[in-house]
Amino acid sequence: MNNKRGWPALIGLSLCTAVAQAAVVDDMLVGYKAAGAAGFDAARGEQLWHKTFPDPEAAGKTRGCGTCHTDNLKERGKHASTGKVIEPLAPSVNKERLTDPKFIEKWFTRNCKWVLGRACTPQEKGDVLSFLRKQ
Amino acid sequence: MLNKHRLLIWDLPTRLFHWLLVASFTTAWISFDDNRYLDVHVYAGYLFFSLLVFRLIWGAVGSRHARFRAFACDWPSVWAYLRGLLNGQAARHLGHNPAGAWAIFAMLALGLAVSLAGILTLAGEEGHGPLRGLIPYAVGSAAKDAHELLAWSLLVLTLVHVSGVIVESVFHKNNLIWAMITGYKETTSPAGGVSKHGVVAVVMLSVACIFTAMYFRGYLTQTPDKPYVPFQGPPLPDNPTWRTECGDCHLAFYPVLLPARSWRKLMAEQGDHFGEDLSLDAATVAEITGFLAANAAESGLTEAAHKMNDSLSAGHTPLRITEMPYWRRKHAEIDAAYWQDKKIGGKNHCSACHLDAAQGTFEDSAMRLPPLSKN
Repeated sequence: MNNKRGWPALIGLSLCTAVAQAAVVDDMLVGYKAAGAAGFDAARGEQLWHKTFPDPEAAGKTRGCGTCHTDNLKERGKHASTGKVIEPLAPSVNKERLTDPKFIEKWFTRNCKWVLGRACTPQEKGDVLSFLRKQ
Repeated sequence: MLNKHRLLIWDLPTRLFHWLLVASFTTAWISFDDNRYLDVHVYAGYLFFSLLVFRLIWGAVGSRHARFRAFACDWPSVWAYLRGLLNGQAARHLGHNPAGAWAIFAMLALGLAVSLAGILTLAGEEGHGPLRGLIPYAVGSAAKDAHELLAWSLLVLTLVHVSGVIVESVFHKNNLIWAMITGYKETTSPAGGVSKHGVVAVVMLSVACIFTAMYFRGYLTQTPDKPYVPFQGPPLPDNPTWRTECGDCHLAFYPVLLPARSWRKLMAEQGDHFGEDLSLDAATVAEITGFLAANAAESGLTEAAHKMNDSLSAGHTPLRITEMPYWRRKHAEIDAAYWQDKKIGGKNHCSACHLDAAQGTFEDSAMRLPPLSKN
């Protein structure tokens, strides 16, 4: 960004991603509602985010979203078994988050199974998404 | 008492050749064992080979004592010289004595053979050098055995040469080593001196310096974020689905590191991938499995592919690369402190030490053991 005309472009771009983000999340919430969910509640999503579940592979240990993402969504996380760095989940610090419905659905599928031991309901996914979009 | 004359016997290019050859041969021996210094070893080999080629030319067109035709190397002369050493009457030679001449021919021939075997090894095993792509792995592997045998033979011959030099120096009270440094010998005859050939020597030295600088220039421009990796060949086959899906949770381990049967088993069991359900759809599984199987250890794409494949017995289907016998052998000497170090973080973090792990090439000279963290 070495000329003045770059700045409007940058601002425009981040506006675009913000708008795209909102549209993606809104569309997904509509989809979850159609799949049977009632109204969504970010506070309920936050609760689920911080809730821990027993680890089926290690007695006494627990699993939660924060096991890999840490409790601070604006920080980098670490994959629990491989140690791979995970970029922050909060859209306010990571513009790429919540922009791709396929990506979101893939990780809900994989991570709900790992943490809860089952698939998440449309209600749970919508609540968590409503919480995440505000971070 | 006759007058003594101090004559230039060895011109400057001959002396420069001799000592650069000593330096390159020594460097090659020092650098051969640690694979990380393969680039240094190959550099020493190129220098060594170029010097030998120069010496062949100089043996035809160089000054008097450097010319092969001037070597008194016929069999009766050698025999007379060796017998003379035993009874104390060996004739003194201004240039090489007959036994020395033979040693030099043998060393030149062995040196060229070592170089050629080295170039074949580099092409066949590593996929680099002037003959890359032309030499099958099996030929390269055989050439490596020959390279080692020839290098040992040349070392033995070098020791014979040095012993001969010492014997002759004592016998004729004439320091031959010093003569190879200064070029001068003392003699009773005023005839037989040569000119210095300084221009040829300057050209030689310049070419050697430029070659050295060009060869190692990558180390001068590297940064901590972008370390220099010697021997970057053409990129290996890639697949975006494989790289994204596998790379999401860990380094996308290049397929050559496991045999196809291991990859097929891993992908078939993706519902329980080391305790995690990957939930990949059928099309994704098929695409990734296809890519993995096509470029698995059996493909022989890289040196590691061959070594991995050769190390595994037929009935064994490991699901972890760290269970491969070749992996275990190569990492047996790594201190446990490295695996526990937080910067490295375990045996699955290939890229902590292998700079080209993501590309999958796993070049010998791309290995860097990082300094351990201070606790």
